[in-house]
Amino acid sequence: MTDPFVLAAAGEVGGDFFKERDVGDLCQAQPDQVFCFDWARENLDRFATPTVQHLQIVIPALLIGFVVAFALALLAHRTRWLQPPLLAATGVLYTIPSIAFFFLLLPITGLGRDTAIIVLAAYTLQIIFRNTMLGLNNVPASVKDAARGMGLTQRQILWKVELPLAIPEIIAGLRVAVVSTIAIATLAVLISAGGLGTQMYGSNLTFPTSIIIAAAIVMLMALAFDVVLLLVQRFTTPWRRAAQG
Amino acid sequence: MNERAASSVRYEEATKRYGDAAEPAVDRLTLEVPAGEICVLVGPSGCGKTTAMRMVNRTVEISDGDVLVGDQSVRDREPAQLRREIGYVIQQIGLFPHRTITENIGAVPQLLGWKKDRIHQRSSELLELIGLDPELGDRYPAQLSGGQQQRVGVARALAADPLVMLMDEPFGAIDPINRERLQNEFLRLQAEIRKTVLFVTHDIDEAIKMGDRIAVMREGGRVEQYATPAELLMAPANEFVEDFVGADRALKRLALMRVRDINLWEAPLAHVGQATGEVRAKLDSPDVEVPFPLLVDDERRPLGWLSERDLAAPTVPQRPDSPLGPVLELDDVMRDALADLLQGEAQYAPVVDHSGRIAGVLSVEIISEFLASPEAKSEETPAVERPHD
Repeated sequence: MTDPFVLAAAGEVGGDFFKERDVGDLCQAQPDQVFCFDWARENLDRFATPTVQHLQIVIPALLIGFVVAFALALLAHRTRWLQPPLLAATGVLYTIPSIAFFFLLLPITGLGRDTAIIVLAAYTLQIIFRNTMLGLNNVPASVKDAARGMGLTQRQILWKVELPLAIPEIIAGLRVAVVSTIAIATLAVLISAGGLGTQMYGSNLTFPTSIIIAAAIVMLMALAFDVVLLLVQRFTTPWRRAAQG
Repeated sequence: MNERAASSVRYEEATKRYGDAAEPAVDRLTLEVPAGEICVLVGPSGCGKTTAMRMVNRTVEISDGDVLVGDQSVRDREPAQLRREIGYVIQQIGLFPHRTITENIGAVPQLLGWKKDRIHQRSSELLELIGLDPELGDRYPAQLSGGQQQRVGVARALAADPLVMLMDEPFGAIDPINRERLQNEFLRLQAEIRKTVLFVTHDIDEAIKMGDRIAVMREGGRVEQYATPAELLMAPANEFVEDFVGADRALKRLALMRVRDINLWEAPLAHVGQATGEVRAKLDSPDVEVPFPLLVDDERRPLGWLSERDLAAPTVPQRPDSPLGPVLELDDVMRDALADLLQGEAQYAPVVDHSGRIAGVLSVEIISEFLASPEAKSEETPAVERPHD
């Protein structure tokens, strides 16, 4: 705990992250050990609740972020001149430092999960919006021309032609959003929103086992989401594999 | 396949103005395309030919005047509904990359609410019609060659049995060899399905080949001449058309003629075992045009040319000294026949009928005489008015 800001904040808002980690007697014999397996075996269950909390922040944030960004992208697709301002607006949100963003929202939304979800959702807007736009813009003009000439309505062109063809870019955006959201969600602990951050910040730095386990869970979670998204892409875009094979 | 009767297309002073452009892109275009014919709109880029074509399915909105498909104004139709009745083929093909070939072909039928079975049946029917293996139906466009993709593009346009087909430089992006093949295939197909086709190209050779009628256009969609290919080549209405058709229009006429359309030379024939004296006598007659006798079998099928050395023997040998060289058919297009002669480095070649029997001899001389004659400009076609003469 060297960061005075974090300390001060923690002191004010309380929260469980500041609790002294229970090192226990298990690793007393080897204090220099980086990772204490005995402790890990005994204490693994203490990560269950933070993991669930983490998911309870990440999943709503991603869903909200996706829905909002997707809707904005469709809007900007129809109303071209909205593209630059929306890109700029979502870009500005993305540049706000995350800790500052959490505390900026505190007076409005208070401590807890809602604030965390809002901040994390806001961070996903830029990448999802931009990639959805990119995907829609990349649809070849000839394909749209043919679709129109064949008698598809604007709505049919969007849902049957443009969006299916934009799936790879949309999912690429989601994958980046997922990884960064899961990572930044570890900071939710600062506003008492729980999550795996509780097992990282405020830990006894001379005893990093807890941090390592929490980080590993974060990484596994990101990996699992990524695999799911890849599978979704695989099933929704069989034509891309065909083109490569 | 039961095709619906095609509709005529009539432009009535159809005009397209873009924004505040000084000149309309298409200015009071009046043109009638009879049902079942291919009408080629040809002209330099920017002449408004594509704009004119797109008025028919309202992918370009008409500013003034009207376009009628059958007897109905396209302006009275809901655009999406109208377009489902009009086949649409573009140069970049525009197949849906995420749909299989079968799904691509079935796109319009699906919009029209056809049953799945019927769509599938129609797709395989069309794949066969365009000469593609029905197995390809489950592939994606990226797995097909450019030529195959363009065939699918044509099949897709035909799927819902359209009243009219719009084709915008459909073979423009294909290599020359495949383009020729696709053109021929489409003409064969058209002979069967008899659609009304509006075909846009900037290539006069393609226009001459594909068109029943050709509208030569210049800026503002002004039609400088609307005529059959032969009329266009023989009697260009004015300097613009003449320039556009090109100085080699006499040569282009050859593309419209078949070998049977020209007077062939008669070959002095020789049979195996015949006395060479008899053959020599034939050669000596004053009106003989071919200086060498042609050896034929009992069915009068050509075997080869006899040389001086062959004729030195008392009887005609079984194997002639000179190879036969190119053999032409009466139904060959003249331009191809000339190409064969030039390629075979032959001054002349035997022409056979469809059963392989000798019908005469075509020579480079005959062709060049034809090209030089006034006949080349006026033969066998009714006189055409030349208002600018």
